[in-house]
Order: sequence, then C-alpha cells, then structure tokens
Amino acid sequence: MEEDTDALTDYAEDGVDLTLIRAFLSLTPAERLAFLQRQVDAIRKVRALNGVD
Amino acid sequence: MESTDFLATLRTLHTGGVEFVLVGGVAASLNGATGQTFDVDIVAARDDENLEKLLRVLESVDAIFRIQPARRLKPDMSHLRSTGHKNLLTKLGYLDVLGTIGRGLSYADLLPHSVEMDIGEGVRVRVLDLETIIAIKEELASEKDLAVLPLLRRTLQEKQRRS
Repeated sequence: MEEDTDALTDYAEDGVDLTLIRAFLSLTPAERLAFLQRQVDAIRKVRALNGVD
Repeated sequence: MESTDFLATLRTLHTGGVEFVLVGGVAASLNGATGQTFDVDIVAARDDENLEKLLRVLESVDAIFRIQPARRLKPDMSHLRSTGHKNLLTKLGYLDVLGTIGRGLSYADLLPHSVEMDIGEGVRVRVLDLETIIAIKEELASEKDLAVLPLLRRTLQEKQRRS
C-alpha cells in the first residue's frame, strides 16, 4: 500500500513550499545572512567548475 | 562572475557611519524569505555629509560602475546625489546604491518602514520591512517583481501567524 505523500508536504495553493519558509523563519537574521552567503558561494563554485564565469 | 561578501559589505558601510536602508533580495532574505540574490542593494540618505561618508567607503573598496568595468569609472558625489541606480562592483562584490526605489521613495521615506537587525559580528543595519518590500513590488508590478510576490506574501503570512 502506497503512503499518502500529500500528508507529508505543505504547499500553499500557489505552489510555495511552506516548510522551507518555516525553516528559514526559525533562523536569526544573522543565520539567514550566513545561509544566503553559503548558497551564493556554492552557486559560484559550481558555475566556475563548469566554466561559466 | 564575482562573489559578494554580504556581511563584509554591510560591515564596511556600518563602520563608515553611512546612514542607509538595506533593500532588495538581501533585505527579503533577512526578513525570512527564501530565495537567491547576488548583490547588496541600499538606499542611502542623500545629504552631503552622509554621501561624503558613503564616497569614502566606496573608495576604500575600490568601487567602480560595473556596466563598463574596463573603463573603471568611479562614482563621485554628483553620481551619489542623483536619484538613479548606481550598479557598482567593489572588491567585496556587487553593491547597488539606489537613490530612490519604487515610485521615488527616498531614504527618508523608507526609514519609518525599516527595522534594525543584528546581522552578525556586532553589525546592526536598518532593513526594509517585508510589508513595504511587498507593497513596492505590487506597485511596480514588473514580471520580475510579480514572480517573487507569492513567496514574499506567504513569508509575511507565516511571520504574522507566528507573532
């Protein structure tokens, strides 16, 4: 019997993932900035590895 | 593509005594919205005393206009006094100095709609609140603005639900 995965997600009707918003809101502003920095640095690293820069 | 050191950029402005409100994608993130951005956007007070402080900071980070980086055109006081957008490249990354945002909103207009946040290492900056970010994007209604509105609105709802 398949599990009902709908019960394990929480998307708004416009498709926004509310679980990500809640996770981000649980951080302090300083933690959010550090997260954003890591995200941007990671994207830049991947772009460089693929010769995009 | 350069990488922007968000905290270092904001710390440099803070240490230089520049009065500004942080706007744009980093402001949205600090308010709790998930998403990506690659630059720091600020609206600074445009009185001469503040602009002189801002200019000193920009000189200290080797700011140039990024539209034609080969020309290495540096911003000066006349650029900073204008209401337009100054899209700069610095040794700390991308920094946009915006004279006004939305329909001509200046630092003085935005200040009452900002909140002071501790962003780490003792740096405190004024950040445009989420309600105003949403209101400006709703008013401008460009495709780029409309694309992020659902996320911003849901973030605001979640914040309000928690408070």
